[in-house]
Amino acid sequence: MTQVFLPRTLNELWNLLDAEPDGRVYAGGTDFLVGFHERAPRPACLICIERISEIKGVSDRGDWIWIGAATTHSMLLAAPPIREHAAVLARGVSVLASPPVRNMGTIGGNIVNASPAGDTLPPLYVLGAEVEIESRVSTRRVPIQEFILGPGIVDLRRGEIVTGLRVRKASRFAVHHYEKVGRRKAQACSVVGMAALIRLSESKIIEEIRTAWGSVGPTVVTIPDVEHFLVGKPLGVKSLKEAMPLVSGSVFPIDDVRATAEYRRKVAARILVRLARYA
Amino acid sequence: MTVDRDFERIYRGTLAIGSPVPRVDAFDKVTGRQIFAADYYSPDMLWAGVKRAGIPHGRVEYLHVERATSLAGVHAILTHEDVRGSNRQGVVRKDQPVLCNDKVRHCGDAVALVLAESKEVLRQALDLVGVGLEPLPAVFDAEQAMKEGAPLVHEDHEAGNILLEGHLKTGAGEDARDECDILIEACFKTPRQEHAYLETEVGWAQMGDDGRLTIVCSTQTPFRDRAEVAEALGLKYTDIRIIAPYPGGAFGGKDGVTVQSLLGLAALHSGGRPVKMWWGREESFVCGTKRHAATMYYTLGAKSDGSLHYLKVRLYLDTGPYDHLGGVVLALGLEHSGGPYRIPNVVLDGWCAYTNNPIGGAFRGFGVTQVTAAMEQMMDMLAEKLGMDPLNLRLRNAVKTGDRNFVGKTLVNSTGVTECLEVLAAHPLWKEKDAWKSSADTFKKRGVGIAALMHASGYGPFVPDFANAKIQLTEQGKVRVYCGVVDMGQGNASTNLQIVGSILGQDAAHIELVQPDTDRTLPSGSASASRCTYTFGNALIGAAGILKERILQRAADLLMAPDAKHFALVPGSVRHLRDGRELPLSLVAQYLNESERVAVYRFRVPVAGEVMPVGEDLRLHGFPHTLFSYGAHLAYVEVDELTGKVSVERYLAVSDCGTVINPQVYEQQIHGGIAQGVGFALSEEFQVKEGRVLTPGFSTYLIPTAADVPEMESIPVQLYEQTGPFGLKGVGEISTNGPLPAISNALFDALGAREGEYPLTPERVARVIGAGDWLNASGSMLRW
Amino acid sequence: MAQRVRIDAAVVRGSIPWTETKEPSLEILRVVEPNSDAVREAMEIAFFLNGTPVKLDVAPDRRVVDLLREDLGLTGTKEACGTGDCGACTILVDNESRLSCLMLAAQLDGRTVATIEGLSQGESLHVIQEAFIECGAVQCGFCTPGMVASSVDLLHRIPSPTRQEIRDGFSGNLCRCTGYQKIVDAVELAVRKLQEDR
Repeated sequence: MTQVFLPRTLNELWNLLDAEPDGRVYAGGTDFLVGFHERAPRPACLICIERISEIKGVSDRGDWIWIGAATTHSMLLAAPPIREHAAVLARGVSVLASPPVRNMGTIGGNIVNASPAGDTLPPLYVLGAEVEIESRVSTRRVPIQEFILGPGIVDLRRGEIVTGLRVRKASRFAVHHYEKVGRRKAQACSVVGMAALIRLSESKIIEEIRTAWGSVGPTVVTIPDVEHFLVGKPLGVKSLKEAMPLVSGSVFPIDDVRATAEYRRKVAARILVRLARYA
Repeated sequence: MTVDRDFERIYRGTLAIGSPVPRVDAFDKVTGRQIFAADYYSPDMLWAGVKRAGIPHGRVEYLHVERATSLAGVHAILTHEDVRGSNRQGVVRKDQPVLCNDKVRHCGDAVALVLAESKEVLRQALDLVGVGLEPLPAVFDAEQAMKEGAPLVHEDHEAGNILLEGHLKTGAGEDARDECDILIEACFKTPRQEHAYLETEVGWAQMGDDGRLTIVCSTQTPFRDRAEVAEALGLKYTDIRIIAPYPGGAFGGKDGVTVQSLLGLAALHSGGRPVKMWWGREESFVCGTKRHAATMYYTLGAKSDGSLHYLKVRLYLDTGPYDHLGGVVLALGLEHSGGPYRIPNVVLDGWCAYTNNPIGGAFRGFGVTQVTAAMEQMMDMLAEKLGMDPLNLRLRNAVKTGDRNFVGKTLVNSTGVTECLEVLAAHPLWKEKDAWKSSADTFKKRGVGIAALMHASGYGPFVPDFANAKIQLTEQGKVRVYCGVVDMGQGNASTNLQIVGSILGQDAAHIELVQPDTDRTLPSGSASASRCTYTFGNALIGAAGILKERILQRAADLLMAPDAKHFALVPGSVRHLRDGRELPLSLVAQYLNESERVAVYRFRVPVAGEVMPVGEDLRLHGFPHTLFSYGAHLAYVEVDELTGKVSVERYLAVSDCGTVINPQVYEQQIHGGIAQGVGFALSEEFQVKEGRVLTPGFSTYLIPTAADVPEMESIPVQLYEQTGPFGLKGVGEISTNGPLPAISNALFDALGAREGEYPLTPERVARVIGAGDWLNASGSMLRW
Repeated sequence: MAQRVRIDAAVVRGSIPWTETKEPSLEILRVVEPNSDAVREAMEIAFFLNGTPVKLDVAPDRRVVDLLREDLGLTGTKEACGTGDCGACTILVDNESRLSCLMLAAQLDGRTVATIEGLSQGESLHVIQEAFIECGAVQCGFCTPGMVASSVDLLHRIPSPTRQEIRDGFSGNLCRCTGYQKIVDAVELAVRKLQEDR
């Protein structure tokens, strides 16, 4: 049998981690507990961090928004700073799994889980999120693209947990876009996901654009060439279509039961054209 | 937020035929009080679980149970050597072992049964059972399985891997091909479909002190299960009692034995302790039956005026390693392969073949879903080629009462396909389709498609299709209805109550229902084949009539009236309508002895008098039927050009299922069938590679969510069917058959091309859109 | 052996009408003895369950769905996948919908839990339950408890949802029977009833 601890403060957590260095940490459990009871051997100790209030919630910090790692998706959706300054994240969260999963699952869990198909990750990449990692003795802050190293692989050392993240406010971008291509309309794992932020001039010229794709590589894919190519061009089907080869040439999808690599590669490029809707 | 309301208000009032009486089971189901088979737990209960083969075909070399047996908490481990009976089960051909003795024939085959004190121990013990299997060459495709030299699934089957074949020729047969002005040829492949009922296969069993075995299980067929279990385990038929609570969904997947024999075997070795078995979702997906994967080659010919002249069909069904109901599915598929049309010259050839894939079996639609998908697309392809409106083409060829249908069967019952098509034609969704189509957003294309449907009810000419209704006036003066047919969610229990209530003048408060139980209710066949309310309802009308006469007569006697004239039944009482005198039913009941208080009536379904030239085998498997329901469906579909994602935006189902007894229950059937059909058309891809299931759960096998099913409109065309109870025909299955062809036809309308393999995933649709542009067209892409 | 379950399950469950029409004559006891392993390292948890304070000794890693169904006899909560993909096991924890197959017993400590059994009292139903009956939103009924729980959660978050918002609201609850339309109708009706009551 496995012991389960529910620390209420980070200090309690550090004490627990000292006493149970092999304890496995989880938050919402929506990924971690799937199949847990069928696994053998089970860990001797679990530490559920959903009650640590220091790492829950969203706060407005000037140019930045801070998000606690144990903040649930539902809390994110309800948080005014997210809706006002990081709508692209709300878009991603709103198509993530289902309401009960959003009530349980946390943003920190998504980051540590590092699924290539996670719906919050492309938005966090375009928002330039920085992950805050703490242990009893250390604190560090790492850009998300340096923290996530591969599918399920993150830069987390013994004794550390992700306590939060911060994203820079993105209000200057008129377009906050997230498109999820799934095989049904709700509660489907993403086959391709794309987040985009666009700052437009009055004459609809792209002044700044950030894009990121999910499910088309081992981690979220960003393609600086696409962004360079599009800046200075009018937002429209023509310029977006011209950028398509830059996308299909830069993604590394795989075949699985949900789609072929070929489909993913082509669709990743084609959904870029959707941005013409905002012109 | 609990609101104190007079709940009785909802149920108060009439049980009259035609009123939307709330379902009798709804209260217990919304409050969580309904006890499903899954909810049976008892003290001292053991958990039973199955060790599965894990490979598609292999010879059983050894079973090592020692390590598992020595695990603390393991009660027993059983193998085929512990089975005393035939160790074979099946609905038609008994070819499925309870526990494999010589070979395993698919990955889900059962090789050992473990009884343990807890679920945790059970899981560990199953891992410790050692199964030695010598892999054998396997076959994974119906057409390949029929070829010379293909690995044999059952060495003892005379026809090799061909479970059943059927052939029919009418008119001039092939010779009519040359007489056609236009010929269309195409091939369609429809995939397996998983039932995905929420309650997976489950049951609870115990040997009583009296030596009788009681099994409570989620089943559509308690009486047939009893016979199967008895034979497989070598028990006396009468020593088995099967109790069937409301199943948590079934759709054909519980038409036949799932856990029953295994549970019975477990109970025989549990030392009298109760035993529970509950398949997990993955086990259900791997081991349960599926809608048969079908490959269908079609040729359809017509005269230039649009009259159908010639149809040739080659139908291949993959039944996996066991018959289950594969032969019957083939027969029904062939019988519907030409749709609700007159076609004078027909050549039908069909084969149902054994493979080492998951088991094919009954699934709502039962072979008709597959062939309707093909035929209704052929009709649109023909209309396109003729330059005719697809609706008009269908109207032109639609069968009417008195016509011979395309297999040559004379239609003697109500035949409303024309009426359905006419209602559809007059509907705003049809009339305003062009305006809707032209208002599509950027990157979207829209199309509208239709399909005409027919669906037989009942077992056909050979297998006795009967029901035995039993109604009792209890000593308390209530009417107790003994339901012989399972209500797996389709609402027939409620309809039974409504039928009896309307005849005996009682409201819901004065009627009790007894759910199927082989000790208490009477055998009335399976909950399947769109037959439940038609067959059992007719029997109920008979039984209720008998009981009514008895009650009124005794009341008249008691009140010294000369005869029963002017007496009527009202809730709880008998009343003399002229003088107002009233006797409570509880009093009348006291003056009827036990046998007088019970009325039993048997109804057997009328069957086709004509014998079709199809050979005895096909006839034994149910060919032909005489009673058909009809329908016309319409789908509004929007396609995203960038991704190939398809969205069904609106849906209309016009149905001729006779009189509607309860509009709410009727609509539930139509809606539910459409939703399953939408899943079959768009997202449900049960992927199997070399016999192994690649989509063993709800995260990979995607059934529609609330966001995926469109707003639906159901219009009943209430033609009165003379043979039906109150004029009713079956409504359980027909609507499942419409969505795939209607949606695919709508896609053609939107894109000008179609895809012959399903479901229409974004990826497949992308190929259609691209037609070589951005995804290479595959070989399966149909071009004409 | 220690008795892990120290409450009277009947109190939590409410009395169940035991009539001829519903039940075969089988004795079913709904409080199950724990296996010895579980008791050895049990932890005590206390929470409100359907309005009643309860204290249990429980294996902390026991799945909540097992605790409810097997130990407490609250079989109204269903299990249909065990992987969080179907919503049949949805319960309300501190008024939010949660999947009881992906929660461990320890996580309930200090919480307020409502299962389907707690939404009605005797014949008096929650307005959503009543609307489900009236609108014909129930067929086989196996998804229904989870559907009702998700609908309660939805109306907490969005008191006057559109039909699309209703569909999204229980998009995590699979139903294989109804095609969902009558469930959407039922939630709309419940909203109207609540507005009338105000």
